Amino acid sequence: MLFNSIHFLVFFLVVLALNQALRRWPTAQKLMLLGASYYFYGQWEWHYLLLVWFSTLVDYAIALRLPKTPRPRRLVVLSVIVNLGFLAVFKYANWLIATWNGGVDLLAAPAWHVTPIDLLLPVGISFYTFQSLSYTIDVYRGVLPPRRNLLDYALAVAFFPQIEAGPIVRAREFLAELDGDQRIAFGDVKYALVLIALGYAKKLVFADNLALVADPVFDHPAGLSFAQTLLGVYAFAFQIYCDFSGYTDIAIGCALLLGIRFPKNFDYPYAAQSIQEFWRRWHMTLSRWLRDYLYIPLGGNRRGDARTYANLMTTMLLGGLWHGANWTFVIWGGLHGAYLAFERAVLARLRWWNAANPFATALRVAVTFHLACFAWIFFRARDLAGARAVLANLAQAPAGADGLGGLVLLLGAMFASQQVGARMHYKERIAASDGPLFAVALAAAMVAMVWFAPTHTAPFIYFQF
Amino acid sequence: MLRKLLVLAAPLALVLVIEALFAAGAWEPFAEPQSHAGTSLDLEHALRDPAIGRIDYVTIGSSRPEYGIDHALLATHAERLGRTHADLTMPGTHWTSAGVLARWLEREHPEVRGGIIALSVQDLAFAYNGYYELGILQPFRRVDDLGWIAARIPFAMHDVASYGVVSALFAWRDDVRAFVAAPTQRKEHIEWRNSHRDPRHLLFGNPESHGDMCRWGVDGLAACDRLEAATDDDSAGLRRQCRELRTRAADAPDFAAGRAAAELPAFMSNTRDRVRAQLEGMHWPTPPVVILMPMPRIWNDVLGRGQHEWALQILQPLADAGRIRLLDATAFFDADADRGCGSFFDFYHQNAQGRERFTRWLLPQLQGLLYQDATGTPASPAPTLDRPRP
Repeated sequence: MLFNSIHFLVFFLVVLALNQALRRWPTAQKLMLLGASYYFYGQWEWHYLLLVWFSTLVDYAIALRLPKTPRPRRLVVLSVIVNLGFLAVFKYANWLIATWNGGVDLLAAPAWHVTPIDLLLPVGISFYTFQSLSYTIDVYRGVLPPRRNLLDYALAVAFFPQIEAGPIVRAREFLAELDGDQRIAFGDVKYALVLIALGYAKKLVFADNLALVADPVFDHPAGLSFAQTLLGVYAFAFQIYCDFSGYTDIAIGCALLLGIRFPKNFDYPYAAQSIQEFWRRWHMTLSRWLRDYLYIPLGGNRRGDARTYANLMTTMLLGGLWHGANWTFVIWGGLHGAYLAFERAVLARLRWWNAANPFATALRVAVTFHLACFAWIFFRARDLAGARAVLANLAQAPAGADGLGGLVLLLGAMFASQQVGARMHYKERIAASDGPLFAVALAAAMVAMVWFAPTHTAPFIYFQF
Repeated sequence: MLRKLLVLAAPLALVLVIEALFAAGAWEPFAEPQSHAGTSLDLEHALRDPAIGRIDYVTIGSSRPEYGIDHALLATHAERLGRTHADLTMPGTHWTSAGVLARWLEREHPEVRGGIIALSVQDLAFAYNGYYELGILQPFRRVDDLGWIAARIPFAMHDVASYGVVSALFAWRDDVRAFVAAPTQRKEHIEWRNSHRDPRHLLFGNPESHGDMCRWGVDGLAACDRLEAATDDDSAGLRRQCRELRTRAADAPDFAAGRAAAELPAFMSNTRDRVRAQLEGMHWPTPPVVILMPMPRIWNDVLGRGQHEWALQILQPLADAGRIRLLDATAFFDADADRGCGSFFDFYHQNAQGRERFTRWLLPQLQGLLYQDATGTPASPAPTLDRPRP
């Protein structure tokens, strides 16, 4: 089921009403939410609910067993194997096969060809497997006691606002919400509505329209000018931001209306002054997950510079690969790893670069944005050839900006809005407003959606991960 | 609690206020003059002009009669009779937009005595022609037209284009988007339109048309073969029409088979019932004169089998009952020595020569069918007219 559908609107209103009606009966309420979550996920493909159930049951059982077993590490390894095994089979098997076949072709040994597997990628598998893994690892680490309530844990894995595309809400965070006071203050209701309205506006008004600019640049790059290509890359940078942060805002808003507080997932990433800061503002729940469950266990920055750079690179390469089974995602991750290493090794030591004056700040913001945009080329390209074609267009002499003035203005305004938003936190201000700002902002978002949403909207980008 | 509910409801209330403002015409001054809605707005503006005064007869129809009838000639003739005859034809007008316009006239110009409903055989294939009609009727619709419109233009949840049936914000969607994409161009178009507005010319004059089709012929789709072999820019528009004609020919239903079937196909019975109900529902003192406009011979290759006969089958009973006056001019130019090519400037529309010839033939017919109350002569008996000879 897509968030941007009438079906979801009706579904959510029913769930909201039932959630309120059942608030005096927590078990019934949770059962309703779980049933609704399975219904939500099953609308895409009922068979893959079996994977969700299996992952849930395995990790629930493992976590219960962890405090009692003399070799808890083996059980955690089992949990990792099961969860990452699902990812390996459904997400990476055909990519590995294609890579193998490519290598075999180079060696002119067609007899070694392997036939690809006919498998559909389960929606959200990258997200719920990471959520589930976080539970067993946290229990293993003693951060969280095992939950002796399958209903609670099942809901933590399958809760519909986040199962398909995050945020990656760790089990301990979700379970703490279930255990806490789920009453929603009036201010929370307003904030949730602001998030939902602006989330839909970001997706339908900005992301889907920017896709019309970006898609031709990446899908049919032949013959495009430098300016057209550059604007297409900028357009994608904002498309993916509006698409993914819009989805997250809707998810957080819906969860909040149901009494569950999700962590923030975006904090105006294009206002970042370094790639390190970018990753504290972009897909924050993923970067925290990678930091806590991959980077730090690898040693983090505690084993000298060389090891730190290696850990950064490993984390970001795997983070790139998490997004998709394609060498382009590996390169995207590798670029960010290289950026982070370079920042640590070089930029962190330059006084002029780190000066507090407005010029240096603007320079850092601009450079960080462009480094992110460069990496986005690989993220968005269908394959390496596609990325090369886009880069070749950017290597042309700058020319051919006729008729693009409006687009330049729009993208400039969006970039400026990131800088302003990072300082003003306008969503919170709108929600807190007692005056007409709340009504005007939400009405403007709704009218903007009526007028500017394309006739056919695309699924959210992160559904494919 | 009430205050909280009001705060939560305020955004929706504000959207409803904006919707009401749009339904009341708040966007109309900014609409693109060259759009369907812009054309309708110009017409509405002209009809409301105090200098125009009373209107006795009207011509309603699409671009075929817009170009195919000499409205200046009709206006002059009506003026001699002490009457006014206004041209309300607009490109794209079809049954629903024509109906909303007629309803608007009942409210705003109740003095209208009668008029011409000018269409073509093609317009009787289906009672519904596409969501674009919402643009044409938007300036003329009022709140109480909603049910009438919704019964004729289907609302489809999955199709945003249909939301304009129920919402003015959606009805103006394409226009607002075009405005945002090119605001300077819109401003120029509006300024030009405002400085060149001429209600009298709009209601009592003729559009310009140039050229004829004798270079290519209008005999059949072979004309399109010749066009498609050409590469000059001047005939690019004709080549576009050829693509439309070929698509229509390929998709044309078999009306003869439908008529012969034990049960009429639903789309044919729906069209028949809707068209008849609409014509019977017109409350002019004089029954409307329904004219099937001339079509060049190429349409013999394009229309569905039995489509002309089906059109007559829909309309003839109304003519027999005296509810309409029917003039079938479909083949008006067919017997010409040049086979009609000199009377059209494209595959749809007559040029000035064709327009004048046709109107000179039409005027005596109208004298008996429409203007008879201006001369005091009794109305003609309900005609069953053969196809006219020019």
